[in-house]
Amino acid sequence: MTNDILIKADNVSKKYCRALKHTMIYGMQDIVRNTLGMAAHSDRLRDGEFWALDDISFEVKRGECVGIIGANGSGKSTLLKLLNGIFLPDKGRIEIKGRCGALIEVGAGFHPMLTGRENVYINGAILGMSKKEIDRKFDEIVSFADIGDFIDSPVKHYSSGMYVRLGFAVAIQCEPDILLVDEVLAVGDAKFQRKCFAKMNELRQNGKTILFVSHDVNTVNQLCSETILLDHGAIVKQGNPRDITKLYHKFLFGQEEQSDKGAFQEISLTAHKEQCVTVQTGQDEFIERQKLKQYAMQKLNISDVHISSEEMRYGNKKAEIIDYGILDRNFKRVDVLKTGERYSIFFKTLFYEDLDDLTLGCRIQNTRGMDVFAANTYFHNITIPPQKKGNLLECCFDVKMHLAQGDFFLTFGIRNINSDNFYDRRIDTVHFKVESIDKMDSACLVNLDEVVSVRNVVVG
Amino acid sequence: MNGENNIVYAPNKFIRMGFLTSLQGMFVSLFQSRELIWRLFLRDFKAKYRQSVFGILWALINPLITVGIFVLLNRSGILNIGDTTVPYPIFALMGISVYGIFSTGLSVSANSIIGAGPMVVKINFPKISLVIASMGQALIDFFVRMLMLIILLIFYGIAPNWTLFIFPFALLPLIFLTLGVGFMLSLLAGIFRDIVHIASFLTTLFLFLMPVLYPAPQSGLFANLNLWNPLSHLIVGARDVFILGNLSNPSEYFYSVFFSLSVFLISWRIFFLSEHRIAERV
Repeated sequence: MTNDILIKADNVSKKYCRALKHTMIYGMQDIVRNTLGMAAHSDRLRDGEFWALDDISFEVKRGECVGIIGANGSGKSTLLKLLNGIFLPDKGRIEIKGRCGALIEVGAGFHPMLTGRENVYINGAILGMSKKEIDRKFDEIVSFADIGDFIDSPVKHYSSGMYVRLGFAVAIQCEPDILLVDEVLAVGDAKFQRKCFAKMNELRQNGKTILFVSHDVNTVNQLCSETILLDHGAIVKQGNPRDITKLYHKFLFGQEEQSDKGAFQEISLTAHKEQCVTVQTGQDEFIERQKLKQYAMQKLNISDVHISSEEMRYGNKKAEIIDYGILDRNFKRVDVLKTGERYSIFFKTLFYEDLDDLTLGCRIQNTRGMDVFAANTYFHNITIPPQKKGNLLECCFDVKMHLAQGDFFLTFGIRNINSDNFYDRRIDTVHFKVESIDKMDSACLVNLDEVVSVRNVVVG
Repeated sequence: MNGENNIVYAPNKFIRMGFLTSLQGMFVSLFQSRELIWRLFLRDFKAKYRQSVFGILWALINPLITVGIFVLLNRSGILNIGDTTVPYPIFALMGISVYGIFSTGLSVSANSIIGAGPMVVKINFPKISLVIASMGQALIDFFVRMLMLIILLIFYGIAPNWTLFIFPFALLPLIFLTLGVGFMLSLLAGIFRDIVHIASFLTTLFLFLMPVLYPAPQSGLFANLNLWNPLSHLIVGARDVFILGNLSNPSEYFYSVFFSLSVFLISWRIFFLSEHRIAERV
């Protein structure tokens, strides 16, 4: 139903100035033009301007929680400010239905000399609340902020955590239909973060719409039903959070390999892999690599590297993970696991170059993208001997499956200890299920091997 | 999605929506920000005098020094102020208090937007409330000075005119003019920081160019200079109402009232149209 669309952005663009000098001149021009009733030439770039956001279109429905992720400077905050109406777009159109609250900066407008109580009223007024409304919610605000007697002390005596808590408490109480949240949850201690998430979940359940800007992928995964990935002011992709965060990871850490191809298109994986190799190395080397690989595969007795459709892959391919899997105690490959049993997670890496200072790791995520397990050789103080070209290295993680049940994804990676550039990283390569023999709550994550006992202490 | 309370953000939004609609928007937004203006005013007021020993008395110290110097200059015969109908200290304090609405008003409003910090760029609220709230400081200063003036009146044993009650209304045009110029300065200061310095320089200059500390000259350079100066007429007019009980130059005064209201309305309009542009340039 179109009625349920609360935010609608159509081809929205916003430009910024690079130099202050231009800011002054153009600012003046725009004001004069506005005053004379002429439309400012906002749809084209003047000297020294650039598009901070370029042709953004999306819709957000009631009750949705949309995460916006992107590297620094990708336009996330600008987008949020446009949606909040702080700036007007230079092109396109934004339609908002309902009261829009913003947590772009919490505690903005707090005056350090005034007490928390006074500031609550000021901040509330800035956010559009009436005195009556604040009176009514005051106790709730104070208890949410959890600052106790400090409410009557000047804000300048607050710790930064208290400051943010109070700001957040005020902002969250203005009961918006749409809540725009900028990276504010990063501050505050764990207890408060937990509280904020609970509050945001509660808002979601009450049918509120939330737009959440972050570069913390885990948070986005846990909170959002939909994610938009921004890069250089343009939407790269919109979709389900797990897919988008994978793409984001690839973007953040896989740039070296991407640089010559105009970063960031999803290319069919096989084609992509071949391309990378050909682009970066000459034809001879490519053939040599193929030979090495074929030889290794023969040794391993496998026909081709299996690629799952959910996989996302990046790396500079100085080494390649060519075989992987999960083995049970009879050395049989499995992808349906039983909780409580022992398994061996392994992957084999083929080296195309001589490499040293290696670390190998694997990681397990649940369907919401939350890391439930991660291990690597570095953390376990395992020194890996320098590897020669053509070597095949196996890495095993013997684990007891403490995951309770559900669907999980396995990620492998190999990189240099001192850098974040992966030689090869295969995200969500294995999709496996964990099943439990006993009855278990379907929402729970871990199996604690519990022994349950009940006894009467006093019989009455 | 065609509900009535849909908010649309588009380029040149206010120019496209038609004059009357946007005019209505101006009034609605001003009316809706009354609570905010009050809160911001309280904030500035409380914060200004907290952690200060003399507190609000600071509003008196500056004008008393200026007036004191002029009284001394006048007494010692260095300056010949001429006939002021009331004792000179009362005349001078009166003048400088009225002028203070303008001068303090300009300096605080020029700073109001750029001084508001991150909230201007991070929260969507009517920025005009910042400017109007800052004017409150000028008015508070004025009230304090008026109390001082009343003490002086009692000291000299002068009974004020019945027109004392009209006096606040006589100040209104001056307040509107100050607000109008203040709107413009606060906008421009968002783009050029120089405005703040220029404003303080000009208000000092005007203090001496205009009949604030001396009665309006009837002829000569300064008389010609102030012939069409609405600000000067508004100050003289307000003082006339208080001291003489009538206007010495009614036609000039009413021309100035008209002028100040026009400045106010035009500046308000410009402010409304340019508010968003400023947020991105600050």
